[in-house]
Amino acid sequence: MKIDRRLLFSFDWILLALILLISLVGLLNIYSAGYSLDNFRQEHLYLKQAQWIVIGLVLMGVITCFDYRFICRYAYVIYAASLFLLALVSLYGYATHGSQRWIILGGFFFQPSELVKLTIVIALAKYFDDHIIGRSYRLRELYIPFLIVVIPFFFILKQPDLGTALILMFLILSITFFIGIEWKSLLLACTGGLILIPLSWLFLKDYQKDRITAFFNPENDPLGSGYHILQSIIAVGSGGIFGKGYLRGSQTQLKFLPVQQTDFVFSVFAEEWGFIGGVILVAMFLILILWCLKIALHSRDLLGMLISFGITMLVFWEVFINVGMVLGMLPVVGIPLPFLSYGGSSMVVLMTAMGLLLNVSMRRFILYP
Amino acid sequence: MAENHGRLNGHEPGKFKDRFKIAFAVVSIMLCILIMRMWHLQVIRGDELRQRSENNSVRLRKIKPLRGLILDTNGQVLVDNQPSFDIIFVPNRNRNINEAAYKLRQLFAARSLTLSADLPPLGKKGWFPPVKLEKNISMEKLAIVETHASDLPGITIDVVPIRQYLNGKMIAHIIGYTGEVSREELKRDMSGDSSIGDITGKDGLEKQLDQYLKGKSGAEQVEVNVLGKEVKVIGKIEPVSGYNVILTIDANLQKAAWEALQDRAGSVVAIDPRDGSVLALASSPAFDPNLFNMGLSADDWDDLSNDASHPMGNRAIAGQYPPGSTYKLIVAAAALEEGLITPDTTFNCNGSFQFGNRTYKCWQKHGHGRVNLHRAIVESCDVYFYNVGKLVGVDKLAEYASRFGLGQPTGIDLPREKSGLVPTRQWKQQRFKEPWQLGETVSISIGQGFNLVTPIQLVNAYASLANGGTVYQPRLVKCIETADGRVLKTFEPQKKGNIGLSEKNIEILKYALWGVVNESGGTGHALMRKEEDVSGKTGTAQVVSRPDDEKHSKAFVSSKHGDHALFVCFAPSDHPEIAVAVIMEHGGHGGSAAAPIARKVIDAYFERKNSAMTKNKPPLTISQRPQAGIYR
Repeated sequence: MKIDRRLLFSFDWILLALILLISLVGLLNIYSAGYSLDNFRQEHLYLKQAQWIVIGLVLMGVITCFDYRFICRYAYVIYAASLFLLALVSLYGYATHGSQRWIILGGFFFQPSELVKLTIVIALAKYFDDHIIGRSYRLRELYIPFLIVVIPFFFILKQPDLGTALILMFLILSITFFIGIEWKSLLLACTGGLILIPLSWLFLKDYQKDRITAFFNPENDPLGSGYHILQSIIAVGSGGIFGKGYLRGSQTQLKFLPVQQTDFVFSVFAEEWGFIGGVILVAMFLILILWCLKIALHSRDLLGMLISFGITMLVFWEVFINVGMVLGMLPVVGIPLPFLSYGGSSMVVLMTAMGLLLNVSMRRFILYP
Repeated sequence: MAENHGRLNGHEPGKFKDRFKIAFAVVSIMLCILIMRMWHLQVIRGDELRQRSENNSVRLRKIKPLRGLILDTNGQVLVDNQPSFDIIFVPNRNRNINEAAYKLRQLFAARSLTLSADLPPLGKKGWFPPVKLEKNISMEKLAIVETHASDLPGITIDVVPIRQYLNGKMIAHIIGYTGEVSREELKRDMSGDSSIGDITGKDGLEKQLDQYLKGKSGAEQVEVNVLGKEVKVIGKIEPVSGYNVILTIDANLQKAAWEALQDRAGSVVAIDPRDGSVLALASSPAFDPNLFNMGLSADDWDDLSNDASHPMGNRAIAGQYPPGSTYKLIVAAAALEEGLITPDTTFNCNGSFQFGNRTYKCWQKHGHGRVNLHRAIVESCDVYFYNVGKLVGVDKLAEYASRFGLGQPTGIDLPREKSGLVPTRQWKQQRFKEPWQLGETVSISIGQGFNLVTPIQLVNAYASLANGGTVYQPRLVKCIETADGRVLKTFEPQKKGNIGLSEKNIEILKYALWGVVNESGGTGHALMRKEEDVSGKTGTAQVVSRPDDEKHSKAFVSSKHGDHALFVCFAPSDHPEIAVAVIMEHGGHGGSAAAPIARKVIDAYFERKNSAMTKNKPPLTISQRPQAGIYR
């Protein structure tokens, strides 16, 4: 493949630097989260995470080599493949903590629901790029995008993985809002959704219901579901303005928080680095997200714009819901914090997504031949 | 297609610019909300929450569940739980573990006791999780710690259930043992239920049935004071006890089998031919599973695992032995069923058999004279079976051996079962890259050579003849019950196949086995009983192949090289209820070394059965069983 020299000049070094910076903070944080855990099982957590970052960066590099228009020609194929993996999970998946989310892929445990988040964005972008109508969409014109999201949505709900399912909903809402939807249709969809919410209560597992009721009054149930929220709030709050110092968070080091290296990783950070550290981290995310939105704004075509906007929204919603949950503002649903939570699937998929953003960004000046 | 797209495909750029402005605003505002919330928690409520975390007055503590009991077929408890007391140091206001340990040592030293704690190197300052100072302490130490509780800040006593193996060595190989879950086991466990310090089954049924036995951990949240003592329990999730396992084993018969072995190397297996239930399964020498409760020291473990007599191995399922003359049943069955001989076919035995340039001897130096099939089995004439085996051929012999379940694991519910060996031409070619020699067929016809069987395979093969042809999968577990006695799962007898012999041939063979014990000149005459008839077959398996016995002195044939003694039988002969296989390593002749042991087991079985019939005592119900009530 011939590499256009202009591509190198317009490579988005700032985005890459932001990603590396946040990943590095995440790595240091994982080291702390696994620090005192009896050097057992979690022993080499940070080494593994570093390995995921490297694998992710390689994939990111590979993805930037191909024009995203070329990649998106296969958008539906990629989407179908990810659906297939998701179906495999429900048939042969591995279950932990009562939900079946993993399959073994090449010797690694892989979580296809993470991949689906990205493939949905690509499939939606491709669809809207192919079906331009030049005005706002009506509800009945949106049934295919709706199907694209709903099929994996039910697979994921069945696992059950409430968090990821929720993210998918926010994702399609953001994208349809962006592409333009008639106000009447939007209103209709929203009322429909509001009616469905109490209905969906019937389908939730007991532990999910517990989490949601515990969110509203954590003090009532300090041992069960409320325990997470309470301990997380104590951990964050006890960090104070300046934090307790790296590797010195008592909540963290005494293992008051289960799964502190995955979904509750932000509480580890906030306890040890305090309000100042927390603000810096959130600010870094804000800069990253705004920068990504800028990439979307300046992309050369609608396809690039939709891809980058969708990916940006994915990162944004994950950051907002995860941190909101750790801070006790939102119910506990399993959503990883981008670049900080321990986990191979999430890290590798995110890096690939960032590769697509770099891809769009560096080709913003390339006109069609 | 792509070429036709304009920059924004006909969308007004202005509209998207507006939407980007909205997105910028929404993202910024929402992330600012997060920062405001952090301000609220960390700055406004910071001091209060810091206090809460520092007083750490609330701890989450895991409550270990009681493992399920293991009971014998009559409801007698074989494995119970008992409390073990551990000394724990919980870092609190007082984080000086060395000081606490020093105080404890002094208190112990006053009564000339020692604290066997190996303190972790505490290089790093600050926080660390609770440390276990000593496991399973004596009552004396417990009393000291309890009376000096106020002088020992940070020191608490943890009560955890540990296993109590009531029958110790007697049934060790069936039950197995437990221990703390290992690093590898944690890594393999994808369910995420186990954590450091959990107890898990390491061998035997404890391992095989771990998922039923282990139960589910509970948790409690306790408030502790500045000294680290618990003040009150705030919330509690009760642990769920593991399920009880009812075995097919009869503890009395197991005891008889174990005692008959008298610590000599060997094993005894008794099963019910009618459904494959294992009634007794003893392997000697054995280990004491209670040793593992304390956490075995490295030295003790080395002693056990390096012991030349292999006390850890279960000989009944993993000991592989040449079957010796017990294999003649298979040879006879193959020859009869294939129509190669009739019961009246005779061969002349003059004490040896010439094949090629080699001489194969009969155990009876002077020969048995002209014998038919019945007498050949009764007197265990080797020369007769050299002839018959040659007629049948190695591959047909192998086919019949596998019909009887040899050469493959029986599927008994224990880990690490061996499959024995049934040689074929193909096997020899693959294993040794050499063709099969006809002389080797002659050797395997009397159970020497390459053949290997495990005691459980042997007894199962004879049991399938005894029951008229059905090969069962031996089962150890009858059912699984919840802690309150509700039956959760029953294990039905599993048919694996059929030996495929005609009824007539089965009768011929059974009659011959009857003769072995009950006719004069029979090699198993030691087992002749007044009441229930026994049928069986002796075997004497050479350990090292010695084609020329005379070359070696008697001293060479020492304990290391002496023949294995085998005996396998079933009773009563007409309606068999019990089949027993005995293997005594280097025991000598099957008839004299193994048969008396089988007799003790058979006697014990019928003694108990007859006394039960006269007393007509029903088995204990669950409510009458001794419960592990120490905790409840």
